[in-house]
Amino acid sequence: MITLERDRITFRFPEIDPDAHASVAMMRTLRLPDDGKTWPLPPGLGTFPLRHLDDFASRLPEAWRKRGGLIAPMAQAEAMWLNFSSREGLPVALRICTGKIDAVTGEAWSHDLSDDPQNYVVLPNQPWLDGYKVASDAIRQFVAMPLGEGYTAEEQITGAAEHGGLQFLAYPMKKERWEAIKREREEERRRSMARMDSAHFEDGVAYSMAMPCAAPARAAAPMGLSPGGRMKQKIFADRYGIDAWDTSRPSKLFVTLLNSLQWRAITGEDPPPSPATAERYTQAGLPWYDYYAGDETALATTDTLKGLKSVNEIADGKGELRPAESAGTLPPAPHRPGARPVREFGD
Amino acid sequence: MGQNVYYVVHMSRFGETLRKLREEKRAKDRRFSLRQVAQRVGVEPAYLSKIERGDVAPPSEETTRKLAADLGADPDVMLALAGKVSSDLQEIIRARPKLFADLIRQLRDAPEHAVLRLVREVRDGEW
Repeated sequence: MITLERDRITFRFPEIDPDAHASVAMMRTLRLPDDGKTWPLPPGLGTFPLRHLDDFASRLPEAWRKRGGLIAPMAQAEAMWLNFSSREGLPVALRICTGKIDAVTGEAWSHDLSDDPQNYVVLPNQPWLDGYKVASDAIRQFVAMPLGEGYTAEEQITGAAEHGGLQFLAYPMKKERWEAIKREREEERRRSMARMDSAHFEDGVAYSMAMPCAAPARAAAPMGLSPGGRMKQKIFADRYGIDAWDTSRPSKLFVTLLNSLQWRAITGEDPPPSPATAERYTQAGLPWYDYYAGDETALATTDTLKGLKSVNEIADGKGELRPAESAGTLPPAPHRPGARPVREFGD
Repeated sequence: MGQNVYYVVHMSRFGETLRKLREEKRAKDRRFSLRQVAQRVGVEPAYLSKIERGDVAPPSEETTRKLAADLGADPDVMLALAGKVSSDLQEIIRARPKLFADLIRQLRDAPEHAVLRLVREVRDGEW
């Protein structure tokens, strides 16, 4: 079952473990300069609001009502990353599609899990995903653009502007595998508590901040996601193997993306302000991030996604204005926070 | 008298749980020392130490939420241990007091799986 809890999409699997769940938050962030350079991780600037589509059904077109799921606001050219977590650490295999195109492989939507190529991420090992996997160690950032103008990954790959939005499909680990892992963890916890009795630790290290900023919203067609600036990020190989997942109960969900004006008209709420530019953020001395997981293996990428063009490349090809962004900025040295993956305001 | 007993019970349970959670984290990550956790949530280390020992009443809702977030704990569970109900839940009940009071009383002894069935699911349609 899927619930919405404080703007987090929460996948619960009571038949596997009533205490465990995995969740996904859509994080507001800076749009990376689409300048061919590879950027470090931008910060999280809070979550995008999410609402049940059914609560506003009478104001929505029939085609959207049929989808069910959730609605979220994204301004044109606004960026987003997906923040994953798993309570109790239950491993979950999660497929992520935009416009029904897989963000990891570029293949069309299906209910299948595949390990060749691997078309899913494994929570909680994978802490986040910022975009389309275009190289073994890089993604192109998720950037919202109006569907029907040729920018979205869906249109680039299929030639059609049909779906837009964001789709998820989650499968939990099989019950017997999960119970074995829990037993091992309890043993390890006992051992570490015993070791701690005689250990002493020193203090150190500091924290970080981020900055919200207003920007204008624009009206347009329903939104889809497009490849933006390039960023350093790996997608980790499944360490448990394809047989570890219980594919008997798919949990799937469609998130319809509305532009700011649609969001205000439909929900009556103001959308969140768009963030500062990457340049202003950097000039203010605020941190970028890095994440290193030495024991994880990065997946190779597929030809389909390697060939995606960025928003700026398409705008140039069409002779249109590029979305406003900073120019001439160098990727800054990232803040490496240590063992705990951290990249949010106040963490 | 009754009020004092109530506070002592919550001071003790909240503090013990907090300490256990923090110590478990500290076993793997030294940034979960008393001093650093206190610094991150914006309280004095001495105050956090008193909370953990149950020498003082549990902190405010805001501080409890910050502690829960820092330690990766569920904020509603931590607030309950502190003898508090989240302000957003209070608002929900105040908006429809009879409906939610009846609902909560009826669910008091229901098994967890039955309660979960009442949680609002996100409807998945055709796409």
